[in-house]
Amino acid sequence: MTLDPGAFREAGQAALGDENLRRALSRLKTHFALGRAQAVERYGAQEWETLREQGRAIRDYALSNLDALLEQFERAVRAQGGQVHWARNAGEAREIVLGILRLHGARTVIKGKSMVSEEIGLNPFLEANGIVAVETDLGEYIVQLRQEPPSHIIAPAFHLNKEDVAKTFRAAHGELDPDRSLLERSELVAEARRVLRARFESADAGITGANFLTAEEGAAVLVTNEGNGDLTRLLPKTHIVLTGLEKVVANLEHAAVLLRLLTRSATGQDISSYVTLMRGPRGAGESDGPENFHVVLVDNGRTGMLGTEAQEVLRCIRCAACLNHCPIYAAVGGHAYGTAYTGPLGAALNPGMLGVALAHHQPNASTFCGRCAEVCPVKIPLPKIMRHWRAREYASGLVLKTTIRGLALWSFLAKRPALYRIASAIAAGGLKRMSRNGRVRALPMMRNWFLVRDFPAPQGRTFQSLWANRK
Amino acid sequence: MDARPRVGVFVTCLVDLVRPQVGFAAATLLEKAGCEVHVPAQTCCGQPAWNSGADRHAADLARAVIAAFEPFDYVVAPSGSCAGMITVHYPEVLANDAEWLPRARALAAKTHELIAFLVNMRGMKQVKARCAARVCYHDSCSSLREMRVRAEPRMLLASVERLQVSELKEPEVCCGFGGLFSVKYPEISERMADDKIADAQATDAELMLGGDLGCLLHLKGRMQRKGINMRVRHVAEVLAGQGSEPALGE
Amino acid sequence: MSAREEILSRIRIRRLHSAPTVPDFAPPALANPIEMFVARAQRANAELHFLDSEIDVPHTIAWLLRARNLPAIVHVPPHASALPWDTAPGLTLHRGAPGPDDAAVALAPFGIAETGTLVYASTAGAPASWHFRAGFEIAVVRADAILPHMENAIAVLKASGLPSTINFVTGPSRTGDIEQTLELGAHGPKALAILIVQN
Repeated sequence: MTLDPGAFREAGQAALGDENLRRALSRLKTHFALGRAQAVERYGAQEWETLREQGRAIRDYALSNLDALLEQFERAVRAQGGQVHWARNAGEAREIVLGILRLHGARTVIKGKSMVSEEIGLNPFLEANGIVAVETDLGEYIVQLRQEPPSHIIAPAFHLNKEDVAKTFRAAHGELDPDRSLLERSELVAEARRVLRARFESADAGITGANFLTAEEGAAVLVTNEGNGDLTRLLPKTHIVLTGLEKVVANLEHAAVLLRLLTRSATGQDISSYVTLMRGPRGAGESDGPENFHVVLVDNGRTGMLGTEAQEVLRCIRCAACLNHCPIYAAVGGHAYGTAYTGPLGAALNPGMLGVALAHHQPNASTFCGRCAEVCPVKIPLPKIMRHWRAREYASGLVLKTTIRGLALWSFLAKRPALYRIASAIAAGGLKRMSRNGRVRALPMMRNWFLVRDFPAPQGRTFQSLWANRK
Repeated sequence: MDARPRVGVFVTCLVDLVRPQVGFAAATLLEKAGCEVHVPAQTCCGQPAWNSGADRHAADLARAVIAAFEPFDYVVAPSGSCAGMITVHYPEVLANDAEWLPRARALAAKTHELIAFLVNMRGMKQVKARCAARVCYHDSCSSLREMRVRAEPRMLLASVERLQVSELKEPEVCCGFGGLFSVKYPEISERMADDKIADAQATDAELMLGGDLGCLLHLKGRMQRKGINMRVRHVAEVLAGQGSEPALGE
Repeated sequence: MSAREEILSRIRIRRLHSAPTVPDFAPPALANPIEMFVARAQRANAELHFLDSEIDVPHTIAWLLRARNLPAIVHVPPHASALPWDTAPGLTLHRGAPGPDDAAVALAPFGIAETGTLVYASTAGAPASWHFRAGFEIAVVRADAILPHMENAIAVLKASGLPSTINFVTGPSRTGDIEQTLELGAHGPKALAILIVQN
């Protein structure tokens, strides 16, 4: 499957016709959105608003002190015997990871879930260099077998139903007895547990992401439910943490606040099954843990958004609540976006990361309904940022000529009330005359309106002309 | 109560062009609420330009609206979307304009959505109107989230004789209009309209009311294309006693 | 200029130079921490039992295994070998790491009431990986070591020096990755029992 953000409209159209996908996407409401609402209610609606404000303040503080905190983090990690690497872009990040693997002679690699690894295209690059990295998160493992990208930032296999998963396992797992039942979800999970356990034990290196980095303690915080992230860190000789550099916060106390927001916003859990603080390689007097510990800090367009109107998207803690409440995401699913980050998060982030031209569809494919901003645990003004990207697109002359001319004409008329009154009276009368049976069925312009709708017949006269005549 | 406040009605370009009845209904209601109603020469609030990123056009239109409306005590619009544009966004549009930013803020402070104005600023608790119909109410996203209008239309509708209001199952989900979104991504807009219409049909309502004409044109237009016979009106029409005039698209 | 220098200098130029402060924050107080711990841990699919004293641990473990039709074998990490195991002579103790279908005991230095969470610091006596290897984990925590909030646990851990791995464990392993429906036992334990020792 190729990812092409420029094909959003076509990919969206195909997705709209996919009944199987539609069934899967209905779970956004019944599972994710409902879970979050219940978790917020358990916490207390008023207290939740206080918590959101605290989360916003913690993230803004971190972004305003990003250089100092990253330097403090680096010192703390090195003091524990770990190493920190800095990558300006995706290419550098990939090379750094490969370099670390080669340095430690690692040939078999396991991975916990990492959106940054999707962002930088790590897996195909490693494969091209003779290293196959096996995903251990169940959702990631499934899409890896299917050679698909993840479709949701915290639930990679969200677009699949269990029958799809069974089919995938049957095709991929050689020793699987064809008579063994894979009808139940529990059977599928047990099968994955069986296959992946062997991988954990034999891998030379493990790569995880990080949900947060804490500067004071030099810790990477990992939030999982499965336990795969922990086995990925603890069993292999080498552990690499691959992370966006904006994830750093001042200390563990700040991280504790964000953890409350993250798990409730993401899956409706008060806390995930496993929250792990990872500090450096195995310590003295410890019997498991990696010998080698590396953190790769990835920039890839993030620092370029500091000091701009898009800065606030850097607060993001990757909970996916915005995706889960977005009607556009609910209509087309994640693959249609053609990027690693999708939904409102993607729409706010990708133009900054990939450029406005390449990612232009995403901030445009929004009604600005505002639900995303409402549920964002750190109060990112997502529609405002999307509008900022639209303004950058407009200023760069990337918008369709017809749109530019249309807006210019509209603006020209709207600045001249007398002329506007005449034009609108003509339009109102004209539309009325073209109406049959209470509607206009087609016009030579605004064709996309009439693709899916009629236009209800206007009254025929404008309000302002009627009001003037009334007096 | 104090002397009759001078209210400038911002009718909105859609009401002006397509459905003047809504403007008259707004004027009627405002007069009933003891206001002196004025309709200065006006055009567009600039939202299509602002949402398209055409910031200079948006700023030009914002200044024109501010100049036309700042003489009044209040500005009232029968639309959460246009009221929201003035209240929430004009200060953003003119953020870098030292002369006009304070004027934008001043106008924002006295601009209101129609129903919220009647209930919260004029103390209106009921209307004298009659409309025998089963009704569902469509909250626009800007009414809900920018202008925080939710209880007010329901309160006034509760006083309309013979009217029964049923709630949509998912009032907080967008109908798919979104201004130019409706023509930039028509298939997604279509899906969202169909979901909203199905929600409305499930309430068994014969009439849909709402506070934003853009949403209503989009939904009624889709109903017409699909042959679904549900009447659609702006809520002001029913509250002002115009509930037996032809509905949208009739 | 190195990548590091380039990134840091770009941040310094672009970031806000008026550093906002972070207000003081206290999580909502808990009326009854033990009750909250039990309720939240149960909500996360853990099974809870109250024990009078440490003496009761071994035979409770034996009973838990019998109740699940599991063999009377439990894997014991080094720091748990001092438990009074001779009070449950029928139990076989294994010193090696547990496999995916085995039972293992874990001693949790703290719990967190707000979320029903057990806190483990990785040491030679208590290897962190054990919490993810077993099929059935039986955790022991003292009632007076159940702290209200994660912040309290962090403070205590910092006072004694942070290890390289700290695990906050809530309930068994789970996944919702297939149809967003909960299944227990993805890679870590399929079941977790918590024994709260009151004296």
